[in-house]
Amino acid sequence: MATESSTDFTLDTAAALAAEEGGAIEGRSPWALAWRRLRRNYVALAFLLLFVVIVVCCALAPVYAHRIAHTDPNANHLGETFPRDGKQVPIISKGGFTGSTFKAGGVPVGPQLWHAGGRYVFGADNQGRDVAVRLLYGGVNSLKVGIGSALICTLLAVVLALLSGYYGGWVDWIISRFFDLIWAFPVLLLAIALGTALSINGFHHFGISIESGSLWIPTLVISYVLIPYIGRPMRGQILSLREKEFVEAATAQGAGAPRIMFGEVLPNIASSVLVFFTLIIANNILTEAGLSFLGAGVQPPNPSWGTLIAEGQDRIQTAPWLAIIPGIAIVLTVLSLNVFGDGLRDALDPRAKVRMDR
Amino acid sequence: MFIRKKWIRLFGLGLVTVALALLAAGCGGSKKSSSSDTTSNASSGSSSGKTYPLLRVTWDAPDYMDPALAYTVAAWQLNWYVYEGLLGYKHESGAAGQTLVPYLAKSMPTVSADGKDLKFQLRDNLKYSDGTPVKASDFRASIERLYKVDSPGVGFFSAIQGADQFSTTKKGHITGIVTNDSTGSIEVKLAHPEGDILYILATQFASILPAKTPASDQSTKGIPSTGPYMVQKYVPSRSFVLVRNPHYNNQIPTMPSGNPDKVTGTIITDPVAAYQSVLGGKSDYDFQPIPNDRLGEAQNKYKDQLRIYTAANTYYYFLNNKLAPFNNIKARQAVEWGIDRNAIINGVYGGLGRPTENFLPPDYQQYQKISDYHYDLAKAKQLAKASGTTGQTVDVYGPNEDPSKASTEYLASQLTKLGWKPKLHLLSHQVYFTTIGNQATKAQAGFTDWYQDYPHPVDWFDVLLNGNRITQTHNNNYGNVDVKAVNDQIEKLKKVTKLDTATNNSWAKVDKDLIVTYATTVPYMNRSATDFFSPQVDMSCYSFHVLGQWDFGVSCMK
Repeated sequence: MATESSTDFTLDTAAALAAEEGGAIEGRSPWALAWRRLRRNYVALAFLLLFVVIVVCCALAPVYAHRIAHTDPNANHLGETFPRDGKQVPIISKGGFTGSTFKAGGVPVGPQLWHAGGRYVFGADNQGRDVAVRLLYGGVNSLKVGIGSALICTLLAVVLALLSGYYGGWVDWIISRFFDLIWAFPVLLLAIALGTALSINGFHHFGISIESGSLWIPTLVISYVLIPYIGRPMRGQILSLREKEFVEAATAQGAGAPRIMFGEVLPNIASSVLVFFTLIIANNILTEAGLSFLGAGVQPPNPSWGTLIAEGQDRIQTAPWLAIIPGIAIVLTVLSLNVFGDGLRDALDPRAKVRMDR
Repeated sequence: MFIRKKWIRLFGLGLVTVALALLAAGCGGSKKSSSSDTTSNASSGSSSGKTYPLLRVTWDAPDYMDPALAYTVAAWQLNWYVYEGLLGYKHESGAAGQTLVPYLAKSMPTVSADGKDLKFQLRDNLKYSDGTPVKASDFRASIERLYKVDSPGVGFFSAIQGADQFSTTKKGHITGIVTNDSTGSIEVKLAHPEGDILYILATQFASILPAKTPASDQSTKGIPSTGPYMVQKYVPSRSFVLVRNPHYNNQIPTMPSGNPDKVTGTIITDPVAAYQSVLGGKSDYDFQPIPNDRLGEAQNKYKDQLRIYTAANTYYYFLNNKLAPFNNIKARQAVEWGIDRNAIINGVYGGLGRPTENFLPPDYQQYQKISDYHYDLAKAKQLAKASGTTGQTVDVYGPNEDPSKASTEYLASQLTKLGWKPKLHLLSHQVYFTTIGNQATKAQAGFTDWYQDYPHPVDWFDVLLNGNRITQTHNNNYGNVDVKAVNDQIEKLKKVTKLDTATNNSWAKVDKDLIVTYATTVPYMNRSATDFFSPQVDMSCYSFHVLGQWDFGVSCMK
């Protein structure tokens, strides 16, 4: 799969594209052409808009929490009531013993939508915390981890791929074995092992100190385990590009290795990197959700969509919204990124589009 | 990887996410712990005489089945009918179940006037399940084996003369245990009087095993037993089978001989799966507590098959009395006032519990209800502010599984409201108590609970809150509670062998001093739990024992 994708992202020459698009590309840069194609892909743009809306909503979490819901994401409201339709409603249904008679209780209030003045729009959890508030703050954490890990992972993978693909030889051998080493472990298991170990004591080595519970832990763990997924196909592309005439020309003009790698090769793989980056955000959000669900990602009481699903699991029968709502948030976010990522790929890689149209 | 087959991948991603949500219903789990009685109409603990061929149970995972190592309710509840000691408890519900009776001993021991010498006589013609006779020297060998296998119960026997020395050398014999195989006499000499020694001799750790039993974990190999049943098979984390002891011959008339001929157990630690196992007809009994989520359903639809009991337990938050901010009494009092006990029980435990401010559970005759703290957040904030410690970071520890996790989160949330900056550390159950019991962890506050080993106040105050017993590692006094006046009182009381009114009042004062006068610890709940049965089980035989929990030996079928 890596080998196939390594050839998918080569930008065509202007002549080839002109042939495919009827000569309308003369004088336009590849990026302008890609933008033109992307503009026509309304589905991709719609899903981009959806992603932007999700990001904006999450970014407004503090505003919603303090101005509308009047609570903090981690503040419990056990034993409290809230006003609805002029009445005080218990946030958690009351149960317990009256003498020797027992009545089951502890069911949190369900989604109120807008009937409670913006409080408990998506209901409460078993601590009386506002699910909508935690969903938004959880989204912030999930997106931070997803995007942050995608950035770090992509950056490291591209640098390693450039070094490996350009220099070849023993540099290539060492970096390739490093990729093999990571790939030798099932990705999720490796992430769970690292996440669990680090979430207990944090990381305090090499002059770096990361406390347990820090978002940096899932971010770095996910970045690390996914490096080969970008690094390998990139390396393949660079191995191919290294033999191209423009590299030879740059070498003949006396350009040094850094200049060729970052000035000549990198721009030619930029489109691939961009598509990978978009798609790996979605993958990382899913990975974060999985890790957090298993307790190896974002640590409570901080919410993330994964921890929210985990917290909802014990109430799936009486309070299904606790798990379903963050699940929907993950689906929408991942879907939006994937559809947009595919659209971006189609825009940047017209050949792939032609193949799909067949 | 991310480029091709995009729609398949999109659907896959969606399905995985939805699956995460749906899988949640079938995952997770909490652990049941111990026992006592309450709302059940418990029948007599004596055998009903209604024998039947097979009892299928769903059980929690025992830590070990070797009685020298086992220290969980799941193991003790089974071993109760397998490995017996000199003494045991009456098989009856309610307070009567706390009564000690002779098991392998012919009668209760003769105790010297100074309380330091106990003389037992073995019953005649006792046999192990392999047909070999039970010898008096087996008792000494069994106690010595505890030290050889590093049993968690060795601490209970330190009052026996020579036990401490044997614990270091592990050679020779414990000088304080003198036995005579020909007469069947056993003499236990104590270095000093121990008020709870008879209860200690009734624990599973004091079970009599053949002297030749290897000094290593024998859980899966099976040890010849003296009780009505023997372990035919035990596969850790999977299953067990108990069958009748062929050489039992009703040799312990003070305990039931057991109704089921065979008990097959499936080990399921997930409460949802365990509950479903009974609903699906695969099991007759669910050991696990019914999940809060299903409790209403169980109560409404299967009321006759459900029993709810409140065990002799206390759930409490420890506050590290030696570290700031909780080395300040006002800070500790702030937490006492700032915890809404009813709200925790209702929200976190689905109502399955009773609020308490006492450290000692209400079943005890030494219990005198404490009612000094009522949830008052404003007062708690004042006290916190007066302590001058607000704004400090507090490392709060708890297990990473609900409901304990949620209870810990509640504590952290309340500390935030009171002005501190809690930092939550949630750990796996497997390492949690070892971690907080290590002074190097410097846990400042956190979740903990305690279920009695035996019904005596020493098992609470001496083990958990006596400052003289604070250790560097494996410390049970998680809050490093160390009040000299109270320590002295505990040391004095633990030597009193007779629990008369004056002694009981003194124990009650220890409770009040620790919780009210010094606000050392924050008890909040006596947790209740459930026993759930299939419709085939005759609930008129249901009996709940203060230590053994559901008395499966006297169960019967319709």
